[in-house]
Amino acid sequence: MLHEFTYGAPVTREDLFKLLDDHGSEAKILAGGTDLLVNIRNGIMKPAVVVDVKKIPRYRDISYSAQEGLVIRPAVTINDILRNHEIQENYPLLQECGHDLASYQIRNRATAIGNVVNASPCSDMAPALLCLGAQAIIASSHGMRTLPFSGFFTGVKKTVLQTGEILEAIAIPASARGAKGAYKKLKRINGHDLGIVGVAVSIKDDILRIAVSSAAPTPVVTPDLPADIPAEDAVAATMNIISPISDVRCSKEYREFMVGVFVRRLLAEVRK
Amino acid sequence: MRVKLTVNGELYERDVKDNKTLLRFLREDLGFLGPKEGCGAGECGACTVFMNGKTVNSCMVLAAEADGAEIETIEGESKDGMLSKLQQAFDRNHAVQCGFCTSGMIMSARELIRIHPKPTVEEIKEGLEGNFCRCTGYKQIIEAVLDATGQLEEKEGLHYAGK
Repeated sequence: MLHEFTYGAPVTREDLFKLLDDHGSEAKILAGGTDLLVNIRNGIMKPAVVVDVKKIPRYRDISYSAQEGLVIRPAVTINDILRNHEIQENYPLLQECGHDLASYQIRNRATAIGNVVNASPCSDMAPALLCLGAQAIIASSHGMRTLPFSGFFTGVKKTVLQTGEILEAIAIPASARGAKGAYKKLKRINGHDLGIVGVAVSIKDDILRIAVSSAAPTPVVTPDLPADIPAEDAVAATMNIISPISDVRCSKEYREFMVGVFVRRLLAEVRK
Repeated sequence: MRVKLTVNGELYERDVKDNKTLLRFLREDLGFLGPKEGCGAGECGACTVFMNGKTVNSCMVLAAEADGAEIETIEGESKDGMLSKLQQAFDRNHAVQCGFCTSGMIMSARELIRIHPKPTVEEIKEGLEGNFCRCTGYKQIIEAVLDATGQLEEKEGLHYAGK
């Protein structure tokens, strides 16, 4: 790696916030590293300080209770999520999306929080979080703030996170427990690949939500729809929220077409 | 920074630059040339090693992050001059041509077999999806894993059943 930086690994939140405050926009947070280190290598990012958050003990936690729901912290990897029985039982859509993220050894390092903070339009975790009504819990030396993921992404690779802030937790409400859901991701090859489009649906308490990745500047979600909505109306509601482009992976028209196909197939699956 | 870790059970302690990857540290500073740099971006898996019992792309890990870790590489696969069962299966099934991907491929195959002691062809394909081979072909590699797990039909040559 040509670019030089200093590595810091705070073990407490206080030390973390101090590092982030001291170095401002010169600091980048390192969790799994599967995006950050590639970006540094390619010269896209040139941080002076790389702040590893994995040594903060609490950041490795997945906590769950039937009353409070699920909380996922910054050092929780995708494979941690795939191996967790409580998530399997209560939030299976999260596992379905995680399973489609990259390859096995990347899932051993990549984190759910890193995946959403990276804010790629083709994020695999975002569709699940949007469908399940997850909240983003953001912390800095100035305090905490919470907002729904539907307001977290602001553009391609852009989020509401300000300098000095960290997405400290993803909170999935207890009300989403047991949501039926499924995810389909169109790829060029059967192995690991970036998505051409990804569609997730969830049904809980007569509310249907459809979230789409790779078809707008950010991952997007429909407003709450009635669970028994006719399939073609659901397709129309999804078309309203997407604005795909043509790029190296496929054309705009193909993306629109496949989003429609996936919505119909997913509805048939979750309504079985 | 000062980094202390074990590689294949042996302890090493070295000064390393903060921006050095674990892969380059293993290759350039410690002389473990088994893990390879293919793409440097997590696509090809040639750099796959075990870190604390889990496979990782060592090109996307900083040596600094591996402080205190237990690393295992292909160099630790054979014991007392004897190839492991998995290495023998790769050899027997011609699952090696140029060999560039093999060290990473064997690391991922070992992890796959730990999770699925009798993997199906689909499970093998998924377990090895993060490892690219550009010459010998995946068929022989899949056969090698089936062979290593006692699932290869030995009747008419070496063919895996179905699919």
